[in-house]
Parts: sequence; C-alpha cells; structure tokens
Amino acid sequence: MGGALFYYQFHSWWNRLRQRVRRLRQPKYLVGAIVGGLYFYFYLFRGLAAARHGAPLPRAMPIPPEMNDLPQTLAAVVFMVVLLLAWILPHTRTALAFSEAEVAFLFPAPVSRRTLIHFKLLKSQAAILFSALLMTLIGRGWSGGHLLTRALGWWAGMSIFNLHLLGSSFVLTMLMDRGMSTSARRVLILGATAAAAVGIFIWVRHSLPPFPAATNQEGFSWLFHYLGRVFESGPLPYLLFPFRLVVAPYFAATYTQFLLALGPALGIMGLHYFWVMHSNVAFEEASVELSRRTAERIAAVRSGHWQAARRPKKAARPPFVLLPAGHPAVALLWKNLISAGLYVTARVWLMLVWVVIVSSLVLQSLSAHGSGVGLVVIVTVGIMLAMSLFSGPQLLRNDLRQDLPVADVLKMFPMPGWQVVLGEVLAPAAMLAGVQWLLVLFGTIFFPEQLDKYTIPLAVRLSVALAAVIVLPFIDLMALLIPNASVLFFPAWFQLGKDTPRGFETMGQQLILMFGQLLVLGLGLVPAGVAFTLFLSGGSFLHWPLLGVVLGAFAAAIILAVEAGIGIKLLGGAFERFDVSGELL
Amino acid sequence: MDIAPPPIAEATAAPPQIEVAGLTKLYGDFTAINDLSFSVRPGEVIGLVGPNGAGKTTTLRCLAGIIPPTRGAVRICGFDLARQPIEAKRRLAFFSDEPRLFDYLTVNQHLTFVARIYGVADYQQTGRQLLEELEIADKADKLPVELSRGMKQKLAIACGLLHAPQVIFFDEPLTGLDPIGIRRMKDSMLKRARAGAAILISSHLLHLLEEVCSHVLILKDGRKVFDGSLGEVRQKFSEQAGGGNLEDAFFRATGETKGEE
Repeated sequence: MGGALFYYQFHSWWNRLRQRVRRLRQPKYLVGAIVGGLYFYFYLFRGLAAARHGAPLPRAMPIPPEMNDLPQTLAAVVFMVVLLLAWILPHTRTALAFSEAEVAFLFPAPVSRRTLIHFKLLKSQAAILFSALLMTLIGRGWSGGHLLTRALGWWAGMSIFNLHLLGSSFVLTMLMDRGMSTSARRVLILGATAAAAVGIFIWVRHSLPPFPAATNQEGFSWLFHYLGRVFESGPLPYLLFPFRLVVAPYFAATYTQFLLALGPALGIMGLHYFWVMHSNVAFEEASVELSRRTAERIAAVRSGHWQAARRPKKAARPPFVLLPAGHPAVALLWKNLISAGLYVTARVWLMLVWVVIVSSLVLQSLSAHGSGVGLVVIVTVGIMLAMSLFSGPQLLRNDLRQDLPVADVLKMFPMPGWQVVLGEVLAPAAMLAGVQWLLVLFGTIFFPEQLDKYTIPLAVRLSVALAAVIVLPFIDLMALLIPNASVLFFPAWFQLGKDTPRGFETMGQQLILMFGQLLVLGLGLVPAGVAFTLFLSGGSFLHWPLLGVVLGAFAAAIILAVEAGIGIKLLGGAFERFDVSGELL
Repeated sequence: MDIAPPPIAEATAAPPQIEVAGLTKLYGDFTAINDLSFSVRPGEVIGLVGPNGAGKTTTLRCLAGIIPPTRGAVRICGFDLARQPIEAKRRLAFFSDEPRLFDYLTVNQHLTFVARIYGVADYQQTGRQLLEELEIADKADKLPVELSRGMKQKLAIACGLLHAPQVIFFDEPLTGLDPIGIRRMKDSMLKRARAGAAILISSHLLHLLEEVCSHVLILKDGRKVFDGSLGEVRQKFSEQAGGGNLEDAFFRATGETKGEE
C-alpha cells in the first residue's frame, strides 16, 4: 500500500512539474518565469554567489561575541510560544489535510489508519523540505555555520513542529470528545501560562539588577546583555532546555557540533512520532469536512475570488434600497457593496465620521503644545493616503476580479460592456474614496495652524482638503481600472480557471503587473497634474492661489474622469469580446 | 398531473423566436460547432441531443450571448445577437446545469438585483409568485450557502424567469432536482411554451425530451444530424431499422450502439 501512495505522490509531483514546464511555451508564462527567475536570482542567489567569492554574508544585527548563545535562546523562546499557540488556537476537531480526491480514493480503500498518517507525514515532508531550503536561502545571514547544516536544522525544527501540531490536535480532539469546550480549554491553558509567567517573572526579578537605562548605552549591547542574564536566571534555562535542543542543529557552527546537536533533536522527533502514531483518535470525519472546505476555498482563491474563500455565514444588510428602475450599473455597485460585508452601510460610515472627528479633536488638543506629535501624525496620514492609492486597489477586489469567474452570468445581462465595467469598479472606488475622505477629514481637523516655523491658515487647509476630496475618487477610479484591465487582458495571470499557475512564472507575472500598474497610473496622472499646475499658477499670478487650488482640482478631476470614461469604454469593449470559453473553462 | 405536448400546430404559424444561421465555433484548430442552422418558433420546445462533446453546451452558450461565435448569425425575437445584444438579451434566459449564484446575496436580494438589471417594475409580486411556485418562498432571506443543490437550482430558475423571457435555454435542467422538482420543472417548461416562449433544452435524458419536446435537434461532432419534430425523427430513423422511441432514433442517428447490442 505504501508503494501505491508513494507512486501517487511522486507522479502527482512529476506531472505537475511537466505541466508547468510545458506551459512555458506560452509567452505569458515564459516572460513571467524569466522575470520571476531574475527576482529570485537577485534576491536569493546572488548573495550566495558573492559569499562563495569571499564576500561576507550580511548579518541583520551585530551581536556581541560573548552573547552568541542568545539567538539560540531567542529561537527556543519563539518555538515554545508557537507550540503553545498550537494548544490554544485550534477550535475544530483533528483533521488531517487530504484533498477531495484523496478522501474519495483512500478512505473507502483498504488502507490502515497508520498508513494514512504515514502518507500524510510523507506528503508534508515535501512542503517542509521546500520551506527549509527557502528559509535557508532567505536567512543566510542570520547565523554562522554551513548552509547544509542550517537547511537540516530548519528541516528538523519544522518536522518536529509538524509532528507536534498533529499530536496536539489529537489530544485536543480527545478533550473535545470528553466534553471540554474550546473556551474552557483556552481559559485553562492561558491561565496556567499566565500563572507560570508571573511566577517566573517574580523569581527572575529578585535575582536580576533593575532594567538599565538605554540612553547611556551604546547601540543594543546593553539589551543583549540584559536578555542574556534574564534567560540564565531562575527556572528559565530548564524550561527552555527542550526547545533549545530542537533549534540547536540550526545554530551549530561546525559539522561536529551539528552532529552532536542532531542526535537529541532526532530523539525528540522520534518521541513525537511515537506520540502521533499511538494516539487513538478518529480523524476521518473531520478530514472529510476539511477536504470539502479546503476544496471550496482553493476553488475560490484560484478563481481570484478571495472573498469567497471566507464564505458569508450571515446575510449582509444592503447599503441602500435598490429600485427596479434606473441605471443597471447601480445594481452591480449595490451587489458588490453587499459582498464587501456587513460594514458598508450608511450607519457604519456615519459612525466612522464621528469617531474621526472626535479622535482628531482629542489628538489635536493633546499635541497643541508643539511636542512634534502633530508633524508625525500628519506625515502618517499623508503616507496612508499615498499607500491607499497603491495598495487600496489591490486590497479592495469587489470588482471584475471577484466576478470574472461568473463572467458567463455577467455576459448574459442586457447591459453594454462599459456599463458592466463601470458597475463593477464603482464599489471598490466608493469604498476607497470613503476611507480617503475620512483620512482627509482627520488631517484637516488635526492639522496644526503652526507647523514648525510655518503658519498654515485654516483657509489653506480647507482648500487643500477640498481639492483632495475632489480629485481622489477619480484617481481611485483610474487606479482600479488598471487591475481590472489586467484581468480582462491577462486573465490567466490572475489565477482564474481550474489550473492554478504557481511558482516563478506567477511571481514574475505579479511583478510585471505591479510595475505596469504604477507606470500606467503615473502616465494617466500627467495630464491632470499639468492642468492642476496651470490653474494653480494662474491663481497665484492673480493673487488667488486658493481658488487656483480648488479650480485646478476640478480641472484635474474632469481630465481624470474623461480618462476613466475612455478606459471604461475600452474595457467594456474588451469585456464584450472576452471569450469565457477560451479563458476560463 | 398529465403532461401534454405544447401546441405545435399553432406555434408554427408565428415567426421564429430563435434563428440560427451558419453558426460555427472554433477553439484553435478544434471545431466545436460546424455550420449549424435551425429555427425555433413560439411555443416550440426543442430537445438538443447528442453524445458527449457534440457541441450542445457550446451551442447554448453561443445562443445566450455568453461566448461569441466564430462565424454565423443568431437572432433572438428578431434581434441580431451580435449587433443588438441588449435587445436580444432582454428577451432570453439561460439556465446552466450548475446554478450560478452570488454567494453573498440572499434569495430576495438576488431577485432585487435581477429586477434592476432587467428593469422589472413589478418584480416583488412576480418574484413572490415565482418563489411560491418553486416552493422556496420560506427561504427568501437565506444565502445560497444555506440552500440545498435543488433549491439553488430553483433560485436560479426564479431569477431567470423574473423578466418573463420569450426565449429560454436549458442546459441539463433536471440535474440535482428531486422527483417532485423534476415534475414541477417539466410543468413549468410546458407552461412557458404554451404562453408562447421558444424553448431549447439540452439533455441526455431522452425520456424527458420525449415528454416535453415538440422537436428534436440532434448534434454529432458539432454538426447537425437531424432537425425536426418528434414524429419526424421517429419516422425517419424507424424506417431504417424499425425502432420506435427517441432513444432508438438517437442511437441510429448518431451511429452509436447500445451497450447490449
């Protein structure tokens, strides 16, 4: 039976690899693979090549030589915390992750429970080996030692974690079977952890000097020394001992040290294996349910419909009453606002406005005495506004990216393509503009009249805010058209359809799209920027600069609206020509 | 309830609701539909049959305006689907074998949404009647995830029928329905046909087609093998080998053999 499972696993992997290599015949994947490969080369491998030629590997933070033990201790602490979370977070019964096909073929087959667990462990080893390799490359400057020992160190740590996760889930299932609720278990574990933490703190505090003042010390060496003393005090060395054993192979500086460290780690791994194999807990039923949910989630994510990965459990309140008469594009706006969840209602937004007004007034009174907080907050608001323009269109995907998997339904609607595109992009544009308006409102109220040595009158602040309020929705519309255009012109790059592109090529495609989006948005903003500058210059020349700002914003908004209109019209044509059979099925 | 065939004689006098001329769909080098021509008049129910891969679903999707044909013309109620797609689509409904619903809209919200898309003024009354007819009125505030497969199918049907389409395409309409649902679906099809709708049904269930259809269109490898009334198909293919029902006619027309033969 083991041979059959190995055969299945090996050939699945091999066929997937062959399929991906064959796909490189298509230019869209080949270009993506080249760009992704270059990214990997420059990010991961170039440093290794340099290291081979004598250049030292980079180190994230210099640690005093006498404190070389500290990273291992910190890694042990992290490992301990992660394992603790494995006992606290889960809220479902034990479920080994099988695909739907595996459930259909293996569960009714004469395959023992032991073989199924072995199969699961073997399968997870592929992911662990890949992750270990990747983490070794990413963290090549994190510690001394050799790449091989570090890779094996990662492998040992991840394998033990994987086994522990499985074993703990068996125990948690057993506790659930015996009537212990998730909340009771969490209270118990968190209470025990808190009691232990308090006990250790009290114990350690009496044996340590007071926390040193950072201002008189050079760099972080004082902190490293202090932490080193903390971890050597009281019961902490004993508590962390098993976790230090697990991470020790990674931190071994020589092959001899590695071999000496590997023994105890393998021993812990063996104990975990024994624990998992001898846990008599049923997992089949939960695994069937998990495979179904996973299949649904994968299908949703593959289709670019990330929101559907979290299927709604509760009907959302409509954002407004949709009348049967009127522009049909509004129906798509209405639908997509509902899909955004329970939070896109007028009541929620009014509440947010109040929160923003009150918080900005409170913050303003707190920072009124020139503490520098004002500047920090204003810069933060500015950064958030800028980020909203670049990240917002990627995060808010309640548009064609969400609906293209049901493009056949959209294509049946008696609507011209441009109306479909307009209706689709309106919801994320409205949500994004709403968030930006809140930021502008916050900034306008909060902005101090005196900033450093400059005085900024209320009229100036209001004019700039008004200009931002006028222009931002149209910039959002432009910014949203680009990813929607990418979906229509390069649907395969958006992971639509049944075949999920992965790997180098997908990463390369995402990089190309990201740079393309920045370039197109930048070019689109040029005419609007020119118009704004002309009005601002004219206003300044006529000694009405504030009027110039507002009129310039109107002119820029009109130009952006025209550009967006042209874009929507073009995309509408592309949507009408879009052949769902060729792209999605 | 007895199922009577639609009034074919009255139907044939009216101009066709569906006119297909030279429809061809290519996927690269592969020809999914090859020069297909036929027409459907008001009140006619045509069964689209053929082996797997014959091009039935592709044909329906081309006729519904979901995928563009490579060549040929489709007219729905006199409107060219390529040149006047909005007018044509206003008059048609397409029901796929898998109900296509929005996960985050409730049953009622689906109807509200579709009413706005098609501009159905009295949608609340019509919608309520449809939900009652389809026996899902008590699920009005439920999300699709809370509905069974059959109920989802019924919701998709309610959405499709809300704007009283004159042309209806069904792709395997009985998938997932229980016996009562199947009976109601047949009744519903015949009711719409008697009201003057032109209906095209793709199905492998030949006994269903025999009960519901007035005409049959047989496809094989994307080509039309036969197009005519049920009586004509029986007559034509029974003359060759003496068979009597649509199943026998299908096997002879497509050159397939039954398992026991």
